Amino acid sequence: MTVFVIRRFLQSIAVLAVTAIIVFIGVYAIGDPAEMLIAPDASAAERAQVVASLGLDKPLWEQFGTFIWNALHGDLGRSFVFNRPSITLILERLPATLELTLFGLCLALIIGIPLGLISGLNPNTATDEVIMTGSILGFSLPSFWQGMMLIMIFSVWLGWLPSTGRGQVGELLGIHSSLFTLDGLKHLILPAINLSLFKVSLVIRLTRTGVRETMPLDFVKFARAKGLSENRIVFVHVFKNILIPLITVIGLELGSMLAFAVVTETIFAWPGIGKLLIDSIMRLDRPVVVAYLLVIVSLFIFINFVVDVLYSLVDPRVRIGEAS
Amino acid sequence: MKPMKLLLAGVAAAVTTMNSVYAADLTIGSATEPSSIDPLFSRTGNNQNVAQAIFDRLVQTDPAINMEPALAVSWTNTDPLTWQVKLREGVKFHDGNPLTAEDVIFSLARAKDVPNSPAPFSGNVASIDSMRPLDDLTVEFKTKKPTPDFMEQIGFVYILEKKVAEGATIEDYNSGKAAIGTGAYKFKAWSPGDNLTLTKNEAYWGNSQDFENVTIKFISNDASRVAALRSGSVDLIDAVPPRDVKTLEGISGLKVFSIASSRMIYLALDSVRDKSPFITDKDGKPLDKNPLKDVKVRQALSQLINRQLIVDRILEGSGEPAGQLVPNGVAGNDPSVKAPAYDVEGAKKLLAEAGYTDGFGITLHTSNDRFPGDADTAQALGQMFARGGLKVNGVVAQPYNVYTKGASGGDFSAFIFSLGNSTPTSATGLRNLLMTVNKEAGTGSFNRTKYSNPAFDEAMRAATAEFDAAKRIEGLQKATSLVFSDVPVIPLFWQKVHWAGKANLTYVANMTEDTVPTLAGLAK
Repeated sequence: MTVFVIRRFLQSIAVLAVTAIIVFIGVYAIGDPAEMLIAPDASAAERAQVVASLGLDKPLWEQFGTFIWNALHGDLGRSFVFNRPSITLILERLPATLELTLFGLCLALIIGIPLGLISGLNPNTATDEVIMTGSILGFSLPSFWQGMMLIMIFSVWLGWLPSTGRGQVGELLGIHSSLFTLDGLKHLILPAINLSLFKVSLVIRLTRTGVRETMPLDFVKFARAKGLSENRIVFVHVFKNILIPLITVIGLELGSMLAFAVVTETIFAWPGIGKLLIDSIMRLDRPVVVAYLLVIVSLFIFINFVVDVLYSLVDPRVRIGEAS
Repeated sequence: MKPMKLLLAGVAAAVTTMNSVYAADLTIGSATEPSSIDPLFSRTGNNQNVAQAIFDRLVQTDPAINMEPALAVSWTNTDPLTWQVKLREGVKFHDGNPLTAEDVIFSLARAKDVPNSPAPFSGNVASIDSMRPLDDLTVEFKTKKPTPDFMEQIGFVYILEKKVAEGATIEDYNSGKAAIGTGAYKFKAWSPGDNLTLTKNEAYWGNSQDFENVTIKFISNDASRVAALRSGSVDLIDAVPPRDVKTLEGISGLKVFSIASSRMIYLALDSVRDKSPFITDKDGKPLDKNPLKDVKVRQALSQLINRQLIVDRILEGSGEPAGQLVPNGVAGNDPSVKAPAYDVEGAKKLLAEAGYTDGFGITLHTSNDRFPGDADTAQALGQMFARGGLKVNGVVAQPYNVYTKGASGGDFSAFIFSLGNSTPTSATGLRNLLMTVNKEAGTGSFNRTKYSNPAFDEAMRAATAEFDAAKRIEGLQKATSLVFSDVPVIPLFWQKVHWAGKANLTYVANMTEDTVPTLAGLAK
């Protein structure tokens, strides 16, 4: 395990370094931030002042050198637009995205796993057909359209739920989140559904396939022969076995939900990091884009690591393989 | 995106929104968000919206961008280099302290060195040589050189309270600690990316406001913003997309507020260089002569454009055909300079006179996300030019953040751009867009094609050096008619801008495209 962790750590450093180079040069190649930032009636002198204060007049290698040097000291640069540390901007908005993603992910699991089990245990029945057809909709309806439909139906027509922004933020055990207030939860429902619909379909299909593959296996027959109840067979023995692919996929999906909930956050004006990213790209706020992608790469590395550890907890075979 | 909007509009038309404004609170859905609460941090429109609610300036503008007194009540120049500005009596900051000359001097001094400001006010205070208080409510300024439009420059800098703002960081403004102004609303809280809240300033020196509490929600997506208004979660929205205007007007309980802004959309032409990168002959081979250098060709292109058709069909009426920089009503507009009439035959004749009977090849460039209809307008221009016998090799649309670099870098031959005028006269716009590029003189900062017209430069210098206001404007008009007869750029239209709100509200549609709570009120 220790060797595994060290190897992973070294790999991560390499990945981060390569990402930094690619992203920095890539972002540098796009447009001219001064054009995006200056006032519409700026004079030539003001423009020169802005270019100099943002360091845009320096050659690429010098800008990159400064960036790397500062990054090694834990400073990922200041936002051109906000003049605040990029990392602060990102961390400030992370809680909003985290609660949205986790809520969405819970929805996906709570809805997806039972439906997948029902489908898998009753293959080729009418129930199965309905669930599977429903999941095709979840897969194929574009997120943007789905979001607008949710707003049209639940906000504009029925007037049940608010359509924009984050609700009131409450505090519980020192954690600030809109999960702790009724208003906050109300605001969370529509965007979370929008974000989770695709994942629901994914979980349904993964669960169904897992169940269908596992049920005919010898150990299930053996368990039946031993006289175990059907519930125990399904919820303990079969369930453990289908968890492996689920954990893998959900881990990766969690990462992408966190990092790129851009569409959902834009439609629902959710003040999360996805919206920050897209706004920063539009405004050529280079430091924020670079810092964001580095944070996200780190996040993915971490999630993958956690997923690997979870494997060994769930599946004894992985543990034994490592040991030998 | 497109089918989505149509569907939304269609579905939406069947529903009515009857919710009324709750008590006297106002919730605005705004397309843009400030980057800081420090009013001197950035001069761009998104920051001005919030700054204007909390802070005041020495002068302000009415909906047609005419200057009117605000914190300053009068100003006189005792000699060409000296100005005395008298401040309003009895103005109090949000913390109860009175406004004094020291606050004004401090604010103007701070304007030029706000750390890392991406759009500083430094140009506004560049002409100040020295300033001193004559008494508590009078400031005397010395300028470096005679500056007739001195108040138009320093007048638009926000006034801070010295005691509070001295040494304050950007975090102090964003948290509200230093967000102490004299404005109609007090800062309450800002949650970036989500909303900003304000409360009424009971001690405001100006007109009393109708709203106790104001919330500004930041909703950048057009369809979401419209839906938020329709669902009643906001009372007023800005930047209504032209295609939604008719739908919203048709819904009982909602109202649309519109005005033709002074943002000019134009086609810039590479009229200076001997060879232009996207000009070819009819077969697509590069031309060794640049036809755009010939004023007759530029006139011909302008006459080939059916501006009214573009406004009607592409913008759904949200525009006003333009023939010069600022629209009627803004000082400097010359009523005799009209948008050229659509005249294909006349244009062909001009092309023949210039020696291009068979036309030539051209590629048009445009942004596709900067303003409603930018890419479609370029497509239409392509078709109109083709009708005049030109060979249109292509219409290239790029996202704005990529596009600007090419446009300013001289990569294109003919490209669409916009220029918003937010100053009381056309002087600033003319100076930045059309005067010869000269860093020392500070002219031509947005003159992307490097157009140069010495007679116009001279006319501008004469006009802006004039202390008599009426003569200054006359001079600007003269300069305008002089330069637009040479077709330095082809003006296309002035954009119409829209706000929409509940029927029990009023909103003062304004040419500067500001979304400020002080412009909203309850319908009487």
